[in-house]
Amino acid sequence: MVETIDHDVVIVGSGLAGMRAAVEILSRSGDSGKTLAVLSKLALMRSHSVAAEGGTAAVLYPEDGDSLELHAWDTIKGSDFLADQDSVWKFVSLCPGEIRQMERWGTPWSRREDGRIAQRPFGGHSFNRATYAQDKVGFFEMRSLYDKLQEFSNWTRYDETFVTALVIQDGVFRGFIGIKLRTGAIVYFRARAGIIATGGAGQLWKFTATSVSTTGDGIGLAYRAGLPIEDMEFMQFHPTGLIPTGILITEGARGEGGYLVNSKGERFMQKYASSKMELAPRDVVSRSMMKEINEGRGFTDEDSGLSYLQLDLRHLGKEKIDTKLPFIKELSMKFIGVDPAEEPIRIKPTAHYTMGGIRVDGNGRVLDGSGRFVKGLWSAGESACVSIHGANRLGANSTAECLVYGKIVGEDIAAYLDSEPNAPAPTDGSLISAEEARIFGDLFRREESSADVYSVKAKLRDVMDKSVYVFRDETGLSEATRQIRALKDEFKGVKVTDGGRVFNYNLQDVLEVGIMLELAEVVARGALDRRESRGGHARTDYPNRDDAGWLKHTLALRTADGPSFSYSPVTITMWKPVERKY
Amino acid sequence: MKRDQRFKSGIITSLNPLGFNLERWSYTVHRITGVILAGYLMAHIFETFQLGGGATAWANTMAALHSLGPLELVGLWIVAGSALYHGGNGIRLILNEAFGKFMGKPILPVYPYSPTSLGKNQKIAVWSITVVVLALWIWAGVYLLAGVGVI
Amino acid sequence: MSLDKVTLRISRSGGKRVSYEVKYRKGMTVLDALTEVREKQDSSLGYRHSCRMGICGSCGMTIEGRPMLACQTQVSSLNKESISIEPLRSMAVIRDLVVDINPFFDLHRSVRPYLIRNNVNERDHSDREYRVLTEEVQKFLQFDYCIMCGLCYAACPTVALDPFYTGPQAITQAYRYMADPRDEGWEGRIDLLDTSHGVWRCHMAGACSFVCPKDVDPAKAVQLARIEVMKRRVLRKRGKGGSRLVPPPVSEASKEGVKPPPFDFGGAEK
Repeated sequence: MVETIDHDVVIVGSGLAGMRAAVEILSRSGDSGKTLAVLSKLALMRSHSVAAEGGTAAVLYPEDGDSLELHAWDTIKGSDFLADQDSVWKFVSLCPGEIRQMERWGTPWSRREDGRIAQRPFGGHSFNRATYAQDKVGFFEMRSLYDKLQEFSNWTRYDETFVTALVIQDGVFRGFIGIKLRTGAIVYFRARAGIIATGGAGQLWKFTATSVSTTGDGIGLAYRAGLPIEDMEFMQFHPTGLIPTGILITEGARGEGGYLVNSKGERFMQKYASSKMELAPRDVVSRSMMKEINEGRGFTDEDSGLSYLQLDLRHLGKEKIDTKLPFIKELSMKFIGVDPAEEPIRIKPTAHYTMGGIRVDGNGRVLDGSGRFVKGLWSAGESACVSIHGANRLGANSTAECLVYGKIVGEDIAAYLDSEPNAPAPTDGSLISAEEARIFGDLFRREESSADVYSVKAKLRDVMDKSVYVFRDETGLSEATRQIRALKDEFKGVKVTDGGRVFNYNLQDVLEVGIMLELAEVVARGALDRRESRGGHARTDYPNRDDAGWLKHTLALRTADGPSFSYSPVTITMWKPVERKY
Repeated sequence: MKRDQRFKSGIITSLNPLGFNLERWSYTVHRITGVILAGYLMAHIFETFQLGGGATAWANTMAALHSLGPLELVGLWIVAGSALYHGGNGIRLILNEAFGKFMGKPILPVYPYSPTSLGKNQKIAVWSITVVVLALWIWAGVYLLAGVGVI
Repeated sequence: MSLDKVTLRISRSGGKRVSYEVKYRKGMTVLDALTEVREKQDSSLGYRHSCRMGICGSCGMTIEGRPMLACQTQVSSLNKESISIEPLRSMAVIRDLVVDINPFFDLHRSVRPYLIRNNVNERDHSDREYRVLTEEVQKFLQFDYCIMCGLCYAACPTVALDPFYTGPQAITQAYRYMADPRDEGWEGRIDLLDTSHGVWRCHMAGACSFVCPKDVDPAKAVQLARIEVMKRRVLRKRGKGGSRLVPPPVSEASKEGVKPPPFDFGGAEK
């Protein structure tokens, strides 16, 4: 017996985008009696958005020389011209308002002497426009949004509820099916409007900066429901991830003046991006780092066998590190025992941000395979692909995107709810019982377990780390595709070995790995098909950008044999693509 | 919300200071000495109440109190120590809680973390009170127990 | 000390303790060890974790008798071959190491932990920011570091005895907003703290600050909150207005800086 819970709006994912949309909808709904539900597979405030460190970009003070055109140009050039330029313009115009709104809601931005908000340099931006709060910007923004949510009373939180399926009937969104981990019961969340804001899929790689929870659940939800997912082969590898875990060291360290050094002690960025040096966009820096390591100018860590380079902050001085970069001092001392004021930090490119995601339009509305709006479904944040970031995201643009798109989606939904009839149409019950049978019947009652979900997961992550990393080539990618298909077959023999109903994390792991395998195939096949290098997708056999043949977005639709690809054009309204040099 | 849905633990968890900081130890001793003093207060009220029973009852009470054995004197010594500690630590607590002394100011945390409210000033305050209390307690011991052959 | 294996004695549901032996790797944290157990030995072990870097606050548990975050506790720092792991104290256990943390979130919500302004329209719809100096931010920033891990509640002796005590974290967050120069809700929060289960129940045991993984120093915040309450009672202090908006920018000619290339309209392609 599946319980049905009714709300007007259901938001899956409680990161920056999800909570910002919730605040927007609740502020606009006032006393109208509308109810909102926020679902998260962790508790609220535990989402991966809290780990964001560097900054949020916005043109706050145009009187100092910055301009919206400059921010838009930086973003579009940084995206290697794959971004949809009309959406970028909308995005940069709304960023300053968001920073100021967060400030009025209590975010403790770092300040200048005269009391205005301070900003610092960041990779890929030609002006110092990364607004920062020490070096824990995502954490402080999450705190402000979470605290702001406590002001409203017409919302319900469903902590530790894992959403397993999206219900779409006749092209209209009906609801989400989820498992309440606390009781093991399946619940159907029926709603008039839904938002998917579950974040990216960084856990596909073993060496990653993301939390254990970042398994691409929302993207997988849409993919399995037959919706197209866009540009999945573009994965951003952040240059500075700690060895051996992959934990993030913010770009702000380079923004404050840190150097990247190879085994010869030279600042090798001189060779690759002589004007921006360490503050070139992340894909340029990651590629430069991997070139140095591949050509033998890296170090090797004896315990883990990983190669690394060094981030040198010693010249910044203890005081600057303590006031502007305290969190990375804590991470570096806690996890590798290195004080950044005394020794350089050991780092390597780490899987960080998924540029791709669910295909949405400029208002965050989810589009189906033929470009029509799936009525009632929106997506915002990292899990959505508008696309603003194109083939590579600039630092400090993602927290900005989450806030801006949280607001846009919230506004859109508030208008939608006012114009639509009240009760949703009844849903076909067979869809729900089919899902229940899939989870609790199939996965639990399999006769024998011929495969172990954790070894499948570990093998998948190793394959991605090896062949679908910063540099890719034809042989590596075809091998990876073959191995992923083999793992998918092996996965069919996996059974849930923990028979309990309460907090069954084993079941959650099995469901997550199922999604990860499907998304990994989309990434690997998309990368194999795209025969050029652009932004975060760098191929050694096709090292140049091919605008004639490949200036288009990749769309992947699910079929029985894996993903089928089609392509859609990029919207160019302001600047034609030029050579990308830093 | 019903009581059993909220935090549940008990008196052992509350009083058990193992593995914690100095101030938590001093909290446990403060609690225990508080109970001892409360017990002593009851005894004192009972003793003074005997006045109501007339001259004979009072004379008996006084005779009993003037002929205390070594065990009772050790008990009184413990009460004396409790009063000294509870009072002394209480003064430190009043300075902490009502005047914010020894606590430090809000700072920017820098790793490795060391909370200012448990910092050097606080430790000096706790130890100085303890040393003074111990000294007075030993003197009280000499005073109480010398004549009865305990020491 | 050189280890090659380490034993975890984990307190499971039903009160029993089960031992698991794990091979030791350099730099291994307690969370890494627990993951080894779940992935290789017993998939029914329940514990929460997410970020692995000490910022989400999920993995609080009692390790060797002390509340700690498992993801940032190095096995080598405990210096023992057999480590005892129990769920967080003072909270109802749901399964193995997973505890019920909802009362903690409810208490946080009850102190109205958001910025309160009399002019709500200005707070929610203005186009400028409040003017705040760095020294003013310093007065409350430390208390904003709280990751809501719940370790302070596991350590607090008053929480162990009084199930309705507001608690170190909630009082700290109330004080964080009272000390924020932008906030104008001082009076209302004093009323919430000045109750029989409020700030008066703290006895300065300091265990909360001792276990806090982010140096939020809740003991200090609670005493500072208490002083505010006393200022209202004794000195008849009243709340005052919050920070003002920055003045609108004086328009000046935009300085010569980096300029983007002129628009090269490629035409909107559909």
